[in-house]
Amino acid sequence: MHAEHPAGPSPADALEERIAALLADPAHRDNPLRAALAELFEQSEAQRERLERLIRIADGFHILERSNRLSLADEYDRQLRRIEKIVRISDRYQQSLRELSESLKDAALRDPLTGLGNRRFLMERMKEETERCARSGTGYTLAIADVDHFKTINDRFGHEAGDAALSRIADAIRANVRDYDLCGRWGGEEFLIMLPATDLDTAVGIVERVRHAIAAVTSPGGDGVAPLSASFGLTAYRAGEPYSTTLNRADRALFAAKAKGRNRCDCI
Amino acid sequence: MNDLSIAGTQSTPAVSGCWEAGTLSMSGDSYPENSFEFFGDVIGWVERFLAESERPLTLDLRLAYMNTSSVKAMMDIFDLLGEAHQRGRSVAVNWFYDARNERVAELADEFREDCEFPFAITADAR
Repeated sequence: MHAEHPAGPSPADALEERIAALLADPAHRDNPLRAALAELFEQSEAQRERLERLIRIADGFHILERSNRLSLADEYDRQLRRIEKIVRISDRYQQSLRELSESLKDAALRDPLTGLGNRRFLMERMKEETERCARSGTGYTLAIADVDHFKTINDRFGHEAGDAALSRIADAIRANVRDYDLCGRWGGEEFLIMLPATDLDTAVGIVERVRHAIAAVTSPGGDGVAPLSASFGLTAYRAGEPYSTTLNRADRALFAAKAKGRNRCDCI
Repeated sequence: MNDLSIAGTQSTPAVSGCWEAGTLSMSGDSYPENSFEFFGDVIGWVERFLAESERPLTLDLRLAYMNTSSVKAMMDIFDLLGEAHQRGRSVAVNWFYDARNERVAELADEFREDCEFPFAITADAR
């Protein structure tokens, strides 16, 4: 509004010039309207200056406000990028932590020698399966296997040969149970096989298959090695009992198998 | 005494700031219960050093795990270094990591992004 007008004088400027010329003209010196016009002209000039000042100041505030807003927007963008970076880094830390926890969990439940589930794993799963059977009224059979004369292998060929034998036996068990059966190392040279929703007759067939596979494992340690074999105790879960009772019964069956000459499976 | 020394715990890194040498070392895991309190002292030391001394400042970091607020605090420290660097101060970060844990190197690299001062990521020969 107060800018220059390079295209020529504005109508307001032209009017101003005309009035200034009239006031300056000596011909109108005695005109009775002259004094009033002079006063009005002066007032109008003052108003105009005032208005221009007002606009200048308002424009100043406007510019300041605008630059503030721009720097706030910049700061906002900067903080946003920063938060994104923090979240990204933090997510990666969390991811490594999660992977670590997965591998620790795996290590806690797996027997490092045979790669089978360990005693803790087996206990958890037996507890789960027992609870499931109690709810659904189904059952499972449980076999416990003990390697025959294992101490002799260790004594004659050393612990490394004993460990290798356990690994191979574990492989034989794993390869001969069904996908949904569970097997693990109960401790020492004892292994456990849990057969969900399986009756004793069917279980005997599977355990016999495992027993033959173990008997076919060639024992490491060179010539003169006694052939490997294992004895099995087998039992079916009875409704309402805790898994420890089932396990004790399988243990008694195993004891019977050992007493009757080993490399065999007995059921209770 | 202008040196800073904080013993490490299971959840906080050991911190050692040497005013004379212009070095600040941090090593360990970082998930303090109150990270504003813990890092407040560290950030305060860095601010004082940058304000009151003219010497170069080097950070030697051996940090494995950091929780989110520690990540934020560390970025605050890097921001301080960045501002000092812009003013012409000599600042540098050396981030050492266990060669068995490449993950930490990748994370340090994320931190390094946008940093204009020297920032080295080196496998620790331990």
